[in-house]
Amino acid sequence: MLRKAFAFFRRDLTIARSYRMAFALEILEAFFGVATFYYLSRFVSTGQLTRAFPPGTDYFAFALVGFAFFDYLTVSLSAFDNSIIEARQNGTLEAMLVTETPLTVILASSASYPFVVLALRTIIYLAWGALLFHFPIRAANWLGAVIVLIASILAFAGLGIVSTSYLLLFKRGNPARWLIVGASGLLGGMMYPVSVLPRPLQWLARLIPVTYSLEGMRQALLAGAGLIQLWPSVRALILFSGILLPLSSLIFAWALRRTKIAGTLTHF
Amino acid sequence: MQASAIVIEDLGKYFPVAQRGWRALLNPFSPLTQPALSGVSFQVESGAVTALIGANGSGKSTLLRILATLLVPTRGRARVAGYDVEREAPQVRAQLGFHSATDGGFYGRLTAHENLDFFAAMNSLFGRQAAERIEEVTELMGLAAFLESQVRTLSTGQVHRLGLARAMLHRPSVLLLDEPTRSLDPMAASDFRRFLRTELVERRGTTVLFASHALAEVEQLADRVALLDSGRLVACDSPWGLRRATGAATLEQALERLTLRGQQAEVSL
Repeated sequence: MLRKAFAFFRRDLTIARSYRMAFALEILEAFFGVATFYYLSRFVSTGQLTRAFPPGTDYFAFALVGFAFFDYLTVSLSAFDNSIIEARQNGTLEAMLVTETPLTVILASSASYPFVVLALRTIIYLAWGALLFHFPIRAANWLGAVIVLIASILAFAGLGIVSTSYLLLFKRGNPARWLIVGASGLLGGMMYPVSVLPRPLQWLARLIPVTYSLEGMRQALLAGAGLIQLWPSVRALILFSGILLPLSSLIFAWALRRTKIAGTLTHF
Repeated sequence: MQASAIVIEDLGKYFPVAQRGWRALLNPFSPLTQPALSGVSFQVESGAVTALIGANGSGKSTLLRILATLLVPTRGRARVAGYDVEREAPQVRAQLGFHSATDGGFYGRLTAHENLDFFAAMNSLFGRQAAERIEEVTELMGLAAFLESQVRTLSTGQVHRLGLARAMLHRPSVLLLDEPTRSLDPMAASDFRRFLRTELVERRGTTVLFASHALAEVEQLADRVALLDSGRLVACDSPWGLRRATGAATLEQALERLTLRGQQAEVSL
């Protein structure tokens, strides 16, 4: 399984290397994103707002973590979809499906490269923030952040597989992805604390994994919280993955069978 | 008598009728009413070459795709190398090589070598073993001249050869080929037929089921011919047996007579 995942990673890396300018532009794009957040935070920061965050941090740090780590949700949702879309378009889906590698392994392995690239992008975001805009990284509990991140990716992967099941069946226009990203953006606390939402929405926010992911990540990176303090967020994310991964696998297996019955597996 | 590598019993495949507009919205999973295969039964012996022939839309590709586990049959069953295509699909895929009629299915920005390396890994071939197999198929299919070129720069015929090489990379015991020589030049097609007959079938004992419209190729390669017409199996015999049964001088004549006979039988029903 690992050697196959590496084969996918090497494939995607070789293809990406053939587009050399894209990577350089991505580093530059990250700089513009971080700079925009910094000046926005200077504009909106007030004494009251600053007191809402852990000592030594501010709205810039809060928003940068939200912005950088919300991407893990969007990539989890798009990585599986994109692997199917691209493979359908260049005709490699059928060629892969007649090998002994099951589609679930193909999907999981296809996501390896996007996640590594995303990790690099996150590091670039945080590095720009720390180097130029006083993002506080000294207090961070990096081990705790990695644990929250892994638990988050597992929980988001379940949502990604549901989204891909829709794509397998209906080819394009993915309301599952739109709904998940939209609701998570509104309720998950990406750009503002969940506590500013009306109470019913705060309650709804507790039902989506990204809320726990961003909470845990901010605690680990900005407040340097220990593993005991991070446990409630990690526990919630493990619970989400425990439910979403088996459920999404069942939905995916059903969707795959439907497309094999209808003969639309390679249609796009 | 040799065991059968492919067993097809009463196989049927129906597709849903494509819906448009509000009908598609209200009924996304329409019933399977469009027949593609109906009551097809035959066997392919181990180490034999069987040709699937028939007009466009007769069900040849559908049958090959069911055997390749890309489609689920509506009824009946099929076994490849002793495994059920529906219930034991992973085991079936480990035994077969499949070459689709549509040229392509490669990563254009990777070289031919990098593509083969990737698909070798998909078939659990890594490191030295993968390198040896790639070298082997490179020699057999004459890929050396363009092995390090990006696939997007190759001609249709070269991509086709690469596709055939990929299908044989893991030395499958059963090879399913949909129009294997379609895009090849006459010399390459002739070389491939010779290689298929002598190397794959006679030396390695590979079982081959291929679809083709080229009757000369069918006559040269096939031990048996399965004729499909509108999704039904009209005849399955050796080329000589088909000619004898119809009193025809050529295979083409024999097929014309068999197809006509089938259509007349349908009308009289």
